Amino acid sequence: MIQGPRRIALEEWDARYSELRRAGMVEPPYGGPLRRHVEDGDVRLLKLWFDDSAAALRLWNFLLTEEDRLRQARALGRRLVGAMKDLGVVPVMAYSSPRLTAFYPDGAWWIPCMMELGAGLLRLAAALGLDESFCPVRAVLGAFLTGAHFPIPDLLTCSVGATCDDFSAVAQRLNGLGYPILWWEIPARRKPDPGEPAVDLPGGFSAPRDQVAFVGGELERVRSALEALAGEPLNEERLSKGIREANRVRRRLARLRRLAYAADPCPLPALEMLIAEMLAIHFCSDREETVAVLDILLEEVGKRVQARVGALPSKAVRVFWVNPVADLRAMNLLEDCGARLCGTDFMFGHALDLIPEQAPPMEALARMARADPMVGSAADRADRVCAEMRAFGAEALVVSRIPGASHCATEGRLIAEIVEERLGVPTVEIEVPPVCDALTPNLRTRLEALVEAVRARRGK
Amino acid sequence: MIYAGIDAGSRAIKIVLFNSRQDAPLASAICDQGVEQERLARGLFDDLLEKQGLRPGQIARIVATGYGRNLVRFASETITEITCHAAGVRRLVPQARTIIEIGGQDSKLIRLTPEGVLRDFAMNDRCAAGTGRFLELVATRLGATLQELGAMADRSRRPAAISSMCVVFAETEIIGLLAGGVPPEDIVAGVQASIAGRVGAMAGRKLDPPVVLTGGVAMVSGMARALETSLGKPVGVAPDPQMTGALGAAILASRP
Repeated sequence: MIQGPRRIALEEWDARYSELRRAGMVEPPYGGPLRRHVEDGDVRLLKLWFDDSAAALRLWNFLLTEEDRLRQARALGRRLVGAMKDLGVVPVMAYSSPRLTAFYPDGAWWIPCMMELGAGLLRLAAALGLDESFCPVRAVLGAFLTGAHFPIPDLLTCSVGATCDDFSAVAQRLNGLGYPILWWEIPARRKPDPGEPAVDLPGGFSAPRDQVAFVGGELERVRSALEALAGEPLNEERLSKGIREANRVRRRLARLRRLAYAADPCPLPALEMLIAEMLAIHFCSDREETVAVLDILLEEVGKRVQARVGALPSKAVRVFWVNPVADLRAMNLLEDCGARLCGTDFMFGHALDLIPEQAPPMEALARMARADPMVGSAADRADRVCAEMRAFGAEALVVSRIPGASHCATEGRLIAEIVEERLGVPTVEIEVPPVCDALTPNLRTRLEALVEAVRARRGK
Repeated sequence: MIYAGIDAGSRAIKIVLFNSRQDAPLASAICDQGVEQERLARGLFDDLLEKQGLRPGQIARIVATGYGRNLVRFASETITEITCHAAGVRRLVPQARTIIEIGGQDSKLIRLTPEGVLRDFAMNDRCAAGTGRFLELVATRLGATLQELGAMADRSRRPAAISSMCVVFAETEIIGLLAGGVPPEDIVAGVQASIAGRVGAMAGRKLDPPVVLTGGVAMVSGMARALETSLGKPVGVAPDPQMTGALGAAILASRP
């Protein structure tokens, strides 16, 4: 009997890997069995459920070998840019130069989850005065101190202003430890006053022209720093090409989201969708390979949609998810409770939207930065969430809070209230710490009750 | 046909047998929760059946609910306590639109549609400050039983202000208040107001009347009054509030 796609645990991946190899699976240089990452310390993999496709394996291997790629890039003489608190603008600029590789040091916030606190990064951050009253992104401090998770970048940039108070505190501490940072400022987005010259932004927003010009000026400073680091100009032609290449990734992600979130049964589990969406931020340190990984994933999902098969049962409760989780296991838990993902707002919608290709490149990037959900109001985010929930037929909303993260502490409730009022669907707020094992019964109750509420409505 | 609902809560296990022909509860039982949760639930279940002259084979279906529901492996199905309390309270107070359930370990706010369908819910976070655990801690500190706390609160003239958001720190405050000569009854009333304030914050603006209080803490006199003060709305207490989860589970077990 031919088995359809399904979620499997790590121990099943060993046999599945051999099976795929026998069937002729072609792997990239970073390929190999998933289990080897456990030996590297990523013990959380032992508790996760994975999609069983070769495409998903490649996605995971791509994600989990980023450190190797960064070290290799340095060995090849490429200069490394740590683009902090920036979800989709500076990396686009940096990848416009073949001499630069950008990455996202803030991504270290998942190390405590993946290594089940074994790396001690949060402990190191606490010793520097940033304890659990701050967002788990404070793990980045520990990662800089140990140097064990990524090479220390040659240039550190960080947006500051309306983005995230927690991260500003973390970055200030990092700066104080002797890591110079190029700060670029980004003010809160406001609607243009009547008669005020305005600019349309990606995502359907608009902003006063002066605000966009100001951010453009800040990004010019970043451009100069990148040029100095690369030793070559980042001219309009290069930047325009960089934008087109970034949009190749974004177009693929848009197609993947449309396919995966609309189809029933659900063709790709929540965890793999989360990882795939995260590629938009900084291309996991290899823009070309990101395109290849997404193409293979799209092909797999396309086949499943056409064959009407999925990794989850048909008619699972359709849930829209707001905010990323500190513990990846929460995404598995959603599915264990009888639900499936049908849309997300992981706070980087602007990294998924297409960068305008008709505008001059620096102007286009400034507009993109202005569309960052973090610098806009919660109502703006809620508008987008409601529109996507309607488009994907969501039946419920989960707002996931990040412990200690000041940005989403109150915003979540506002978004939930707006969604309830406009769409009349049940909502629930949960808080997911970096390792949620002890809270699993509590989280499970909330998610199961949400599923029960939707089923009660269906049966009404 | 006889159906069973088992509410494996954090402090107690409750069982209700429901006779679907008579559309009424048949019997109920309760015991303290412990480490061997399944054995305790099984023992209570067997005792109840024996007292009713029933055999396990005569129970058509069993629904387990509550914090320990997944450990009741002899149940036919598990349903969350949120849905079960909603079904139980709705049975006892058909017009209920908002349910506040304060248990030993957590507190919940459950909203129902006018038709009685679960609309949505909110639960307190990890902190015990909005739960029955807070009252237990106070009872221990004051050398009183939970039942005595209600009577003490009734005698309060001036509830003490408890400002801590954390039960552990609140205990320190209570020690300080006692040392400062604050009467125990004012401390108990202050703690009740603190729990009610937490629930009020969780409720936010989601509060359609009638509001019904259920769960073990509802049996402590003074809690409903403290909630009324916090919410600015009348709060009724469900009959036999500790059993509503098990009752709801039994009712849901009887539905096809």
